[in-house]
Amino acid sequence: MQNVIIALSLGSAYFLFAQGLSLTWATIDVLNFGHGAIFMFSVFSCSVLLGEVELPLVGLLLVAVAVGAALSLLAQLLVFGIIAARAKDRRSAELQVLIAGVGIGSILLAIAQKNAKGTAFGLSESSFETTTFEFFGATATNVTVIMIVTAIVLGLVVAWWLRRTRFGLALRAIGIDDEVASMMGADRSVLAAGAMAAAGALAGVAGVLFTLYATAIVPETGDVLLIKAFAVVILGGVGSTLGVAFGALALAAAEVVILTQTSGLWVDAISFGLIIAVLVLRPRGLFGKKEVQRA
Amino acid sequence: MNAWYYGNLLTIQTTLTALLLALSIQIPMRMGVFAFTGVGAFGIAGYSTTILVADHGLGAIPAIIVSAIAAGLICLLWALLVYRLNGLYLAMSTFAFTLIVSVVAVNGGTVTGGPSGRYGVITPFGMGALVTISSIGLVVAALTERGRMGRRIDAVRDDPQLATSLGVSVRRYRLWGFAASGLFGGTAGAMQVLIRTTITPTDIGFHLIVLALTIVVIGGLGSWTGALLGAIVFTWLPQLLTSASEWRDLIYGGVILIAAVVAPGGVHGVVTGWLRGRQRRRRAASGAALPAKIEATEDLGEQMAQARQ
Repeated sequence: MQNVIIALSLGSAYFLFAQGLSLTWATIDVLNFGHGAIFMFSVFSCSVLLGEVELPLVGLLLVAVAVGAALSLLAQLLVFGIIAARAKDRRSAELQVLIAGVGIGSILLAIAQKNAKGTAFGLSESSFETTTFEFFGATATNVTVIMIVTAIVLGLVVAWWLRRTRFGLALRAIGIDDEVASMMGADRSVLAAGAMAAAGALAGVAGVLFTLYATAIVPETGDVLLIKAFAVVILGGVGSTLGVAFGALALAAAEVVILTQTSGLWVDAISFGLIIAVLVLRPRGLFGKKEVQRA
Repeated sequence: MNAWYYGNLLTIQTTLTALLLALSIQIPMRMGVFAFTGVGAFGIAGYSTTILVADHGLGAIPAIIVSAIAAGLICLLWALLVYRLNGLYLAMSTFAFTLIVSVVAVNGGTVTGGPSGRYGVITPFGMGALVTISSIGLVVAALTERGRMGRRIDAVRDDPQLATSLGVSVRRYRLWGFAASGLFGGTAGAMQVLIRTTITPTDIGFHLIVLALTIVVIGGLGSWTGALLGAIVFTWLPQLLTSASEWRDLIYGGVILIAAVVAPGGVHGVVTGWLRGRQRRRRAASGAALPAKIEATEDLGEQMAQARQ
């Protein structure tokens, strides 16, 4: 039971994080390598702010969402948007976006590393108190509960937003065919900005909850999580909310099994091995849609 | 001169290995494949050289050859495994390949020395051999950009369907691209170990991918001169920035970002673009005496060169 709780809470954190990555990748062709750094930086901003004022959990979440969305939006407006407008074809745009993401990531990482001076930072100074309780013979904390509930609620909201609103419809249309979608009146730059801001906000939420759960993170945590999120997204299939949720839970469960059965050093190999196994056996992921290739 | 040479020996050596590593990413890229296998090969060959030299007493040059060929073969096998993937998916799979190499290194027990790595790889491997091997690599890379071979590679990248219809096997070229990436990356990794005498798993992880990518992006994706320029800029910039060393990573990130947004062709692209612009202006100034036909072919060459970036 204890292991199930651990797997569920880890899975929720992976889901929240990977959902943002998948959202922009599936719709506006932005595989943001800076997503991990945005996650980390929104936590970092909170922890710096906590040195000045005391904040409750809601305040922390609001700050993290604002920072994550703002960074993500800036990246879109100053970098990815310009690349998309200037690149000569889709393939070179993909490559430039990837490289620019690495650049954004290393800038944020460098700032945090310089200020954190090699130590971990956390959110323990907030007025939020972690409480522990018994649950079917296992111990759980209120952070765990909040994390799982948030992941379910936000997952449903994002899925609904993509499926049922005009904005979501336009966003999905862009993901399938850019040109036709803009002929139908979908404004690519506005939609892209919205999608990126949403992705950043999700990274912020994931950041605060994951840090409360893990008690502290280091600047490099974001990059580790980024690789795991790739595994999750590839496992589930790009653009599928259900797939990402399944991928996140599967990865978390596999990690918990390895952690409890072996010395633990092999844990990182799971996500890489998963990426490869899925790519070779089912390149579109378990829940991915078949893409039509046009010559 | 001599004092300068000995004072900067390590930087010169690093420039040369960085150059080969950059070429290992650039060669598949020139064939339209975005692959990080070269960085994984760097790690594989680094460890295999360590094992061959320190445990089996092999000489430096045989160790480099064996390791590089082994790395090349592993990359080729990898390519056969993931060949049907496209674009970013292929890139991600090679990304995972490289990271698995470092996880295996961490878990390799006494063979790889675990998380703390191995040390004491001492050989008489010197500057002469290093310069020779790097030059051979550079010349080979440069030769693939000329003549029929160069045009075929350009076709494989820019229009695979056209290449196929002309009888150029896209598959064979791309697989060779992977093998070459393994050979170049492997040679770089083997030589790096022989210079430094140590290797740890952290030397070959995520950080190295970023580094190799940065070099190619800063220099320019299309040509060996780009890789050379990038390697020089990247290894010598820190020397010039020692006063600003605490902001070094920030500056690197900024440089990558600017290169990706403003100058996707890198330093090489900017310089050739500027030279070509100047040529054109001069030609325009000297009057339109040139026959129209030459003008037209020049334009075509220009367009192809632009497409290459």
